[in-house]
Amino acid sequence: MSERFEVGIDELFVVNVARTIKDRTTVFHGVSSPIPMVAMYFAKLTHAKDMVYFGGVSSAVDPNPPFLPPTTNDWVMIQGRTAMVTVDKIFDLAQRGELDRSFFSGAQIDKHGNQNVSMIGTPEKCKVKFPGGAGGCNLSGDCVNYTIWTTRHRAQKKGDKKFFTLVNKCDFVTNVGHVTPYGRREELDLVGNGPDWVVTELGVFDFDEKTKVMRLRYLYPDTTVNDVIDNTEFEPVIHPDVRVMDMPAREEVEIIRKIDPLGIRKLEYPERELSRRFEI
Amino acid sequence: MGVFTDRNKLVTMEKAASMIKDGDMVAVGGGLCMREPIALLRELVRQGRRDLHLVGTAHGFDVDFACGGGIAMAVQETHVSFEQDFGLAPNYRRACETGQVKIRESCCNTIIMQLRASEFGIPFVPVRSIKGSDEIKLHPEFKPMVDPFTGKKVVLVPALAPDVAIIHAQKADIHGNLKIMPPYVADVLFIRASKKVIVTVEEIIPEKEMIEEGPTIPYYETTAVVEAPFGAHPTSCYPYYAYDREHLSEYMKSARESAEAFKERYLNKYVYGVKSPEEYLDKVGGKAKRDRLASWTEGRERWMELFTYE
Repeated sequence: MSERFEVGIDELFVVNVARTIKDRTTVFHGVSSPIPMVAMYFAKLTHAKDMVYFGGVSSAVDPNPPFLPPTTNDWVMIQGRTAMVTVDKIFDLAQRGELDRSFFSGAQIDKHGNQNVSMIGTPEKCKVKFPGGAGGCNLSGDCVNYTIWTTRHRAQKKGDKKFFTLVNKCDFVTNVGHVTPYGRREELDLVGNGPDWVVTELGVFDFDEKTKVMRLRYLYPDTTVNDVIDNTEFEPVIHPDVRVMDMPAREEVEIIRKIDPLGIRKLEYPERELSRRFEI
Repeated sequence: MGVFTDRNKLVTMEKAASMIKDGDMVAVGGGLCMREPIALLRELVRQGRRDLHLVGTAHGFDVDFACGGGIAMAVQETHVSFEQDFGLAPNYRRACETGQVKIRESCCNTIIMQLRASEFGIPFVPVRSIKGSDEIKLHPEFKPMVDPFTGKKVVLVPALAPDVAIIHAQKADIHGNLKIMPPYVADVLFIRASKKVIVTVEEIIPEKEMIEEGPTIPYYETTAVVEAPFGAHPTSCYPYYAYDREHLSEYMKSARESAEAFKERYLNKYVYGVKSPEEYLDKVGGKAKRDRLASWTEGRERWMELFTYE
């Protein structure tokens, strides 16, 4: 038992996302979501065995794929399934208020959890076009709750300038958080309750009950409150009991490596982050 | 939404492409890197079709190729990328940033509900989301209103009836009965919502055999059928072939460089300079390539290899 065992940031991050999934709930991941793909499959095999698992656009119920592929729409993702549904049935479930969780990200994420997956600039004069939110605009409104994730919290320095992913204000709001440019969630009669967790490579956040601003809850063994503040354009709320997150068990890390032999969980990081490893 | 009763709907790829007119709204089937009607899109590029308004959900190669090939004027998809496999869609991105295509980005359930309205023969439907999102700015046709029954805020979205749906699937008969193997993505909705339906398939099978298998789509809902083996390449069409990462990797190199490099090195080689499907197959690696992409059936290791080779 005294043998050294290390968990990588990529594996720890997956566990953090998986911890936002509860057993006996309905859960769906969207496109371009390698980390949620691994986290959902991991949760299904560990603490959420009775989760209703919709494996992406492929729309298989409870798939048991031989490995996880780098695309969400492939026959790999329908292997070992129980039933097939069509993707519109998953959106129906959400609009009825019965899809418990999904996962969204963005090139920009603001303090209230709104995300920009669409563009910098305006539709008429677009400076940078991102891929688009897929189902995010609808599901961020409809899902009971959702998890936001980004592996690019760390601001990029270019000369004297810092470029943030966690911004004061998104250039364009694709997916809706708690307070939108058009009003608060409850004023808009949205079906769902919005994002409840934000997982980044620097920490794990929830939202302050009153202000609905992101609130730091957990740090990694190698990050500090100051790291979070320095890399965030807005001022995050700091929970009075911020602490280092619990490390996963060795057996859990081994499950992640087994279900993801291609390492799709590593695809979303800037190279330098992947050298972060922690002894457990 | 049409009714088509011709006994023999088999046409050539050239003829099928000619049924799509400049300026048409086209629903492109499949999604991301799976079962997209690429051979038909190549023919449209070859014929110099223009100003198409593409509609769909989460797509990848098809839309990027259409933008690079100059046939798209507006894109009303919900997402266009090669996911974390190859990342951003370079031709699509360039076309949006230079103003070559109008950004009509939408969201999956919005599109689904609009297609359903068309399928149901009703003028619009309410949706409960979109509120709070700037996507409303991209769609002046959407009308926020208060539901007269519950007093809650909803958004009305109009029926969406594409001029033509183009679908690539596994099998059809000449009468137009169609077998699509799941996942369908939005294909069934596209077929029921569109004015014309052009299908390209891996195999034409006898009608008797099709009836025994049970068609996914009945003959009267399809307009024309083309036999196009390998017609989704480089996207996948299981069980025949997985997607072709080696080809996608080559595609990305020129597409990322510039519009000119893409035309020079990709379009000239794989579109303009190609006379037949046999010549295309030959250029992308011939029988060896086709066998390799079919080798996913040989077990987990072989299947995994197809997601790493370039």
